[in-house]
Amino acid sequence: MKKLLAVLLAVLICALPMAAMAEDVTLTMGSWRTDDAEQVGALLAKYEELTGVKIVFEPTTSTQYNATLRLQLDNGTGPDLFYSRSYSTGAELCEAGFNVVCNDIPGVKENFTESALSAFTDSEGHVFAVPFAAVSHFVYYNKAIFEEQGIEVPTTFEEFLDVCQKLKDAGITPLSNGIAANWDILECVLLGMVPNYITAEERPAYETGEKKMNDETWVKIYEDFAKLVPYLPEGFASIDNDNANVMFGLGQSAMLIDGSWSYGTLAGDDYDIDIGFFSIPAPEGAAAGFSLHPDFGIAGNAASEHPEEVKAFLEWLASPEGAKIAAEVIPAGFLPMINADVAPEGGIVAEMNAVGEGKNADMRFIWAAMMDLYTPMVEQLNAICRGEATPQEAADAIAALWK
Amino acid sequence: MEKQRHPAFQGGRSIKPGGVYWLRYIIPALLVYGVFMAYPMIDSVRLSLYEGTTGVRQFVGFANYVRLFTDEVVSKRFWNAFGNNWIFFAYHMILQNALGILFAAILTNRTMKGRGFYQTLIFIPCTIAVLVTGYLFKLMMNPVWAGTTLKNAGLGFLVRPWLGDRGTALSCVSLVSVWQWVGIPTMMFVAAFQGIPDELIEAADIEGSNAWQTFWRIRVPMIMPVVGMVAIMTFVNNFNAFDVVFSMETLDGAPDYATDLIGTLFYRYGIAGQHPVGIPEPGVGAAISTTIFAMLLCGVLPTLRATQGKE
Repeated sequence: MKKLLAVLLAVLICALPMAAMAEDVTLTMGSWRTDDAEQVGALLAKYEELTGVKIVFEPTTSTQYNATLRLQLDNGTGPDLFYSRSYSTGAELCEAGFNVVCNDIPGVKENFTESALSAFTDSEGHVFAVPFAAVSHFVYYNKAIFEEQGIEVPTTFEEFLDVCQKLKDAGITPLSNGIAANWDILECVLLGMVPNYITAEERPAYETGEKKMNDETWVKIYEDFAKLVPYLPEGFASIDNDNANVMFGLGQSAMLIDGSWSYGTLAGDDYDIDIGFFSIPAPEGAAAGFSLHPDFGIAGNAASEHPEEVKAFLEWLASPEGAKIAAEVIPAGFLPMINADVAPEGGIVAEMNAVGEGKNADMRFIWAAMMDLYTPMVEQLNAICRGEATPQEAADAIAALWK
Repeated sequence: MEKQRHPAFQGGRSIKPGGVYWLRYIIPALLVYGVFMAYPMIDSVRLSLYEGTTGVRQFVGFANYVRLFTDEVVSKRFWNAFGNNWIFFAYHMILQNALGILFAAILTNRTMKGRGFYQTLIFIPCTIAVLVTGYLFKLMMNPVWAGTTLKNAGLGFLVRPWLGDRGTALSCVSLVSVWQWVGIPTMMFVAAFQGIPDELIEAADIEGSNAWQTFWRIRVPMIMPVVGMVAIMTFVNNFNAFDVVFSMETLDGAPDYATDLIGTLFYRYGIAGQHPVGIPEPGVGAAISTTIFAMLLCGVLPTLRATQGKE
């Protein structure tokens, strides 16, 4: 009897640490979406339920993310999984050898379209992340203000300007966008407008230099952009993206041009307004475009201590089953990229997709090949807003940098 | 009379003056300084001669320096930040330190009442995190958030995008920093003024010197070493400044690089990379910091000589 007890005890002692080890796999996930801790937490909890692997969400402030992630990876303290930016920003990390190459992960090649994958493929053909979500850019509007003023949702750019003028005449700030953050004026406003003027098929001609960045079309884009400037709020020079969101949320402006990712906060509990959204309208007679930008994928850290678990998670995300669960919980405003019908019916994703239906969708114009123009474009837009450059001058300045 | 020796110095293991007996006393400090201050600094000078971000770094000689001074964009940003830094420094040197002396002179005046109270009041901002004060002032200077209040108070002319306007942004950031740190020189000058023997002031009084003469002829010359120290501290701290711009503007030194300082420029090139692609160039960053280190040295050494070397 004593012997039996001793054996049992010995078995227990041996088994305990093993059981503990099996449960012990905890992965970390880096992200720039501090707003989404709750929703992503729900997704990760579901995954833990299914597989027993715990993943901890560790987001960093958006504007600090690239630098922080880079430092972490450089020093070998990077998260096991991390949000990856699309195109060159993400590719650059893969080229430095930080990413798990996803080409052979089951589902990646099968469940995503060529164009979705191209946003997450580096120059050597390595898929560096599982495509996860695309974003769009909208004009958000305050329904109560529109109703009060008897304003209908505009369908052309000219009507849009009329709406702005009408609001301004009524003493209401039409748009709450500003230029202090140095990114949203380009990414959301200007690049949100571009698909109305240049289609995805026409874009490569600009990238190769066949068409000039100061041709008639581009000058027209800058001209139309400049027409919005009088409708920006007083002191727009010191309004950043957060300010713009809060102003709109508090009802201090009637509209806001921002990314689809802001929908969750704007429509959420923080603010007491009823909002609607529409795509930035195309000029009269032009075919309407829709800005649909591959925003982020989920990448694995090649130096992770748990490579198997990391790959398993990526595989799950690349499967319709995983993507469906993800689509149910990911924050409003992120559109799933998987080539399967995963969006919950009647949800906000479906509503956003509906806005883009029948329109020429394209990503942010400069992202694929012209990222070097990012900072110069921000500078030129600032100059237009301050009245220091004409649309023609801005276009010329950009064209001079792209040969 | 035979020389009396302290018991500790008797016997065979006595410490003999002369030789390098003092070395053992400074070894701990030397170690800490060497490992945590000198080595990283020297290594950063070495880094400025290399290229590449990860793995194998490639030796490129002075290529980073050549790029820093000849590349159209990089050199333009560098000299812009350099110029901004001098303006930033001038605000502190002239305004902050003058205010420091003024406050200290008032606080140490023999007829001053409630000294402790005012002293605390002036010093409190120094104890608040820069991020907090920066953010508060950012809100106060924003026409959206402060506009209504100011207009209601009849101060409508103050409603301007102070931090968004190229002409005013750097001044505003500098003034906030001056407001925050004026307590430090004040405290140092207070201590220095208190160190002046009363007899000197009394003697001057008896000789018929007025307050103005006493201040310029006696009190200021007596605190010159402290003035020198404060000047050096201001100089060094200002050329290392980063946080106040970070909290009030963006890391790009918005608007249009008007508040870009060496600190933010270094961060952008050396650590973060330019938004949005964000590929850092540690070599260029190190070249920027090495250049600034050399410049600081050139500024600090003569100041030290002029103000501290007389004794």
